[in-house]
Amino acid sequence: MNPRPLTLRTYLQSIAAWTGLWAGVCFVAILFGGERLWALPSGEQVRGILAIRLYAVLTASVVGAALALAGLAFQALLRNPLADPFVLGVSGGAALGVILSSLLVTVVGAPLFGFLGALVTIGIIYAVAQRRGRIEPYTLLLTGIVVNAFCAAAIMLINSLVDPKQRGDVAYWMMGSINTFDPHWSLVGMVGGLTIATGAGFAFLAKGFNLVAVGEDTAGALGVRVERLRLVTFVAASLVTGASVALAGPIGFVGLICPHILRMAMGPDHRRLVPASFFFGATFLVLADLATRLLEGVGGQTPPVGVLTAMAGVPFFIYLLRVRWRRASEIR
Amino acid sequence: MATGIRNPVTADLPLAAFPYLAVRGVGFAYRRDAPVLRDLSFDLERGRLVNILGPNGSGKSTLLRILVGLLAPASGEVRLGGALLADYPRAALARRVGYVPQETAQATGFTVLETVLLGRSPHTGALGFEVPGDWYAARHALHLTETEQFAERSLDELSGGERQRVVIARALAQEPELILLDEPTAFLDIKHQHAIYGLLRRLVREGAKTVLCVSHDLDLAAAYADDLVLLDHGRVAAAGKPEDVLRAEILSPVYETPIEVRKDKATGRPLVLPRPQA
Repeated sequence: MNPRPLTLRTYLQSIAAWTGLWAGVCFVAILFGGERLWALPSGEQVRGILAIRLYAVLTASVVGAALALAGLAFQALLRNPLADPFVLGVSGGAALGVILSSLLVTVVGAPLFGFLGALVTIGIIYAVAQRRGRIEPYTLLLTGIVVNAFCAAAIMLINSLVDPKQRGDVAYWMMGSINTFDPHWSLVGMVGGLTIATGAGFAFLAKGFNLVAVGEDTAGALGVRVERLRLVTFVAASLVTGASVALAGPIGFVGLICPHILRMAMGPDHRRLVPASFFFGATFLVLADLATRLLEGVGGQTPPVGVLTAMAGVPFFIYLLRVRWRRASEIR
Repeated sequence: MATGIRNPVTADLPLAAFPYLAVRGVGFAYRRDAPVLRDLSFDLERGRLVNILGPNGSGKSTLLRILVGLLAPASGEVRLGGALLADYPRAALARRVGYVPQETAQATGFTVLETVLLGRSPHTGALGFEVPGDWYAARHALHLTETEQFAERSLDELSGGERQRVVIARALAQEPELILLDEPTAFLDIKHQHAIYGLLRRLVREGAKTVLCVSHDLDLAAAYADDLVLLDHGRVAAAGKPEDVLRAEILSPVYETPIEVRKDKATGRPLVLPRPQA
């Protein structure tokens, strides 16, 4: 239950261990995802498939890490264990931003618009759900539902107005998928850089996350500027959510599942949870993406990875609602 | 007027006018038309246990929130150790002033020891790692509050009195000079009320702390506090020794209830007896 005390040494050791786990899973996913490499006739084809799988693995890592970090941060600052970028509607807002950008500018504009969409959404949700500085847990989730509904409607409106040739498969994209047919390596690099920077930044905010979880007055009395912490965290979490949606669409529930599995395994300390969420989120989505490619062997088509995370996430959400909600609603 | 931590001694006030904590003409309002504190002034000397009393809505909790830096006064000034409270960096203030808020339900999943270690935050570095000194301070705080036996238990499993002691331990682990407590005995039975006040007394006597405590219980305050500050509608109605403040002619108008004050034969302390008309 009580792991070793945190020192720089144990901290770096745990980061090294997480890196090893993540790299190992990536290695397996590249070698064994779908078609058997050794059955392929030419080295050319092997290289082609390896490149595609490397792209998929890196994209899944970046998106998974981003969503797990954003989920952890929203849960800490909103003091609601069910907060997740997708559930809150932040991913939906980001998706609306990305769709808008596709009408206007090139693909590089997508993360910016995704970020703006996410930031506006979390601003609206926070303004609606808070009353005198306190966030009503039920109002928060209900606000997320209607914001999601609005964004989905707006996306369908835009989509139905544009030229059918430009539409693309929005329904597929809205489920959240890692598209390997049209790789954007520069986008992966950019979003990856943002996510690493956010993870590193959150490592320095983790002590504040712990204190806010105990209580905002307590946090303030212990030297945390709560309003500033909340602003910085919301902006950073919106940034990585928006960027990840630009990369792979709104993949749901990763930000819910990953931090909670880690909390069950290692306790509530955000100093441990921040690096753990970063690496576990990455590993989790690589595995989920691997599963979609293995499912390709069943039906001949690759399902979007968001289908799997949603099917895993919804029972998980219900479990949290039933078993942990009482405790959640006690946190004021 | 020169202010700031670098030069705490200003020209227009002689040194004697610098008590440890000086609250001068403080006003505050959450809404413009409803002031909570108006022109409130009092001094607090080091090494004393002072109890703030007053009816509901008289501004006691708001005053504490100002003293810990959670709220900024709308008018007037607060000086701690001669320097304006507003001039302290947030973490520096947190190393000098500890705060025990009114009890709230906490379901964080932290153990008691981890909760108390959170009190070390103002002392730890950017990543928040504790060093052996921090563990010592936390263990010592557990010892002082007699909560060592709960160290590995979850906070959620403890009773109200035990939890309150843990929250006080967290404030002690902070190693502040001044400890502010907002109704620490509100939900406790007689035994635990006296245990908490006995602990506060010990902290002042043996721990060289200064304690400022808000409570509703006049008799407890009379029994344990060195000085009382009685608030009424955001002003100081009376301040001084318990026997000077707890007087029928002072209390009755403040609480808007006929109050009789007798002398306890055993201790010589004032005994407050409300006599509301039926």
